[in-house]
Amino acid sequence: MSRVGVIGIGHGKFGRRSDATVQELAFEAYRYAMQDAGIGRDALSATVIAAVPEYHKQRSVAGVVQEYLNLNPLPTWLTEVACSSGSAAIRTAYMAIKSGLHPVVAVIGCQKMTELETADILALMGRVGEVQWESVFGTTFPGYYAMFATRHMHEFGTTREQLLQVAIKNHHYGAKNPNALFQKEITLEKALASDPVSTPFCVYDCCANADGAAVLILAEESRAKELRKDGKIVWLDGVGCATASMSVLRRPDLVGLPSAKQAAEQAYRMAEVKASDIKVADVHDCFTIAELMAYEDLGFCEKGQGGKFIEEKRAYIGGDVAVNVDGGLKSKGHPIGATGVSMAYEIVKQLRGECGERQVPNADVGLTHNVGGIGQYCFVHVFRRD
Amino acid sequence: MFSWFGKVSFVPYSKVSDFAVHLKDGRLMGSVCKKCGYKTIPPRADCPECLSGEFEFVEHSGKGTLYTWTRIDAAPTGFDDVIPYILAVVDMEGGGRLVGWFGETIKQEEIKIGMEVQLVPQIFDEEEIKVYYTVEKPGTTWGKAPAPHLG
Amino acid sequence: MDLGLQGKGAIVTGGSLGIGRAVALELAREGCNVAVNYRRHDTEAKQVVADIEKMGRKGLAVKADVSSYDDAQKMVEQVVEQFGHLDIMVCNAGITWDGVIWKMSEKQWDQVIAVNLKGYFNYNKAAALVMKDRKYGKIVNISSINGLRGKFGQANYAASKGGEIAMSKSLARELGRFNVNVNVVAPGMVLTDMMEAIPPEFKNKALAETVVGRFATPGDCAHLVAFLCSDLSRHVTGEVIKIDGGQYI
Repeated sequence: MSRVGVIGIGHGKFGRRSDATVQELAFEAYRYAMQDAGIGRDALSATVIAAVPEYHKQRSVAGVVQEYLNLNPLPTWLTEVACSSGSAAIRTAYMAIKSGLHPVVAVIGCQKMTELETADILALMGRVGEVQWESVFGTTFPGYYAMFATRHMHEFGTTREQLLQVAIKNHHYGAKNPNALFQKEITLEKALASDPVSTPFCVYDCCANADGAAVLILAEESRAKELRKDGKIVWLDGVGCATASMSVLRRPDLVGLPSAKQAAEQAYRMAEVKASDIKVADVHDCFTIAELMAYEDLGFCEKGQGGKFIEEKRAYIGGDVAVNVDGGLKSKGHPIGATGVSMAYEIVKQLRGECGERQVPNADVGLTHNVGGIGQYCFVHVFRRD
Repeated sequence: MFSWFGKVSFVPYSKVSDFAVHLKDGRLMGSVCKKCGYKTIPPRADCPECLSGEFEFVEHSGKGTLYTWTRIDAAPTGFDDVIPYILAVVDMEGGGRLVGWFGETIKQEEIKIGMEVQLVPQIFDEEEIKVYYTVEKPGTTWGKAPAPHLG
Repeated sequence: MDLGLQGKGAIVTGGSLGIGRAVALELAREGCNVAVNYRRHDTEAKQVVADIEKMGRKGLAVKADVSSYDDAQKMVEQVVEQFGHLDIMVCNAGITWDGVIWKMSEKQWDQVIAVNLKGYFNYNKAAALVMKDRKYGKIVNISSINGLRGKFGQANYAASKGGEIAMSKSLARELGRFNVNVNVVAPGMVLTDMMEAIPPEFKNKALAETVVGRFATPGDCAHLVAFLCSDLSRHVTGEVIKIDGGQYI
């Protein structure tokens, strides 16, 4: 069975991009990716676009992006599963390539989140959860993860300081990433003093909304080898995906994401690797607790040991596995449609050895862990450099 | 009218709309599948086990234990006038789980995961009829209207 | 018709005389435990209680000035303690102190408003507090057709009676969701002690207004009030029902 490889990657600046439309943001990343791959539009067979539509004034975003990138009449469609849209689009491209229908597919993750009025954004914030039984009480995205944190602290003794170590690490690496929204290190004192959001979280436990785009170009094995003459192909060898209930009322527990655990098991099995083979990973740190739970769900450490894992610096470069050394969602910002593709961009770059001062040594196998919402969707991808 | 339920409602209609009418009368309802007996709270019209759409409301005592909680300081639209409020996720006696607000009888300092609690039906002090429930100390009592005449 | 009033707890203000007495006895006949207040007429009040107890029901006479907010609150608390619950509140205590406006003193105005309108507020509020928690209650406020029309020499009385109607309608809106009905009974001329003070020419004028050629008895009013205290009228709220023999159509 032929493999699927990444032949081009591109990333734009994440931030409050009031200077550009969503299609202009997409073009920034697309330009880099096409130049990186060294191909023209004739090489492409289709595109898959990842964006969360309700934040845009433009309806049917995929259409306007395809047009602006000058890719008509190629097939395209939108893939949306909240914050995991980017990885879902990558999985879709993988399926399209494996089916034989489309040998080369560009995955375009693009998102504006700052187009709407503040009140509209705040209203959307209140509809993250299950709206019939939960949102009526004013649940919020940070509120849900805060409840996971409260329970995790109760069951495993995880501390606030351990949670904030995640933010400190990610800011440490984000400061070295020119595409990140926040490029400054932070201290524990500053973090603890920041405004409360939802106990136990303060502002520094939470990622920020952002605008931005990233692009991945994937190809079927023989085509990849034809197009990428320098041989720097990173293979997408494992794809895993699972869902869990939308409503937290129907989860088995609130100390981990079963969808992440199951998606990881599938991806590891397909790629024929174990958790300990992963050298570099980009995980979904929408909130500090999410990264701690990711260490556990992905098998980097035992259940409940996430706090110790970060405290002992085992997620830094030089530790067991380098996690979010591009700054993660916390430092990069979280343009929800683009995040999954941004994660893949970083892992591919690491496996190619192109990350300069953030390079993880001997990175041959990497992973992305992209969660939608409160874990109702999760996609885990395993990449390999031969 | 399901739109009666909650401080801000996003769901005007549901096959279990009468949940809100019962709550107004002081009764917290779960559901039971008429065909196979599958019981759950919050109530649902369609049975995930046997696929039947025939269900009945069944009154719940409102007793439960606290699974987790958080105090919200940054609120979404429509909730700014009540911050801070404390959300609870309660494991209900007999199975099922509900999200609710901590009420007057429990202060933040007293909150402990695993504590026994009592869900109590409430009505907002507004012109439009709006109902909800709060998480209170066990033993808290409340009034129930005589059996409703629905429809 | 079975009104279903067995065992209910009721308060009737001004229940020692006239319409109030008739209402108290009718409710007791239908099975209620009834409490009445008195300000001066303690003998009459005790007689009403005796009559109630003769019917096998609990009776209670409480000294309370209806124009006192605290007296009303205390009386409701006392009744809830003695009867176990308050299901029915009938506000009936009222006075007249007639005069044309150019001769009406400040005291004339204040006194009638305080006893009639404020008095109904005091008892309605105290009752509402307990009824909304129980999610059950029937409030009947006895007004007058002179609260619906202008009456020569009764600016103060008409104002208080009209005010009782608007207040009752507002309360119906507020208390409906708690399963509490609030209605008004508006009699015309009724054969009571209050009537004794009226000169014959005015009585005849009133009689001529009726289409049935007679006045209401206190018992006529009591039947209507009892119906409004029953679950048979559960869907009637915020309503004003005249009982005036057609005096004011």
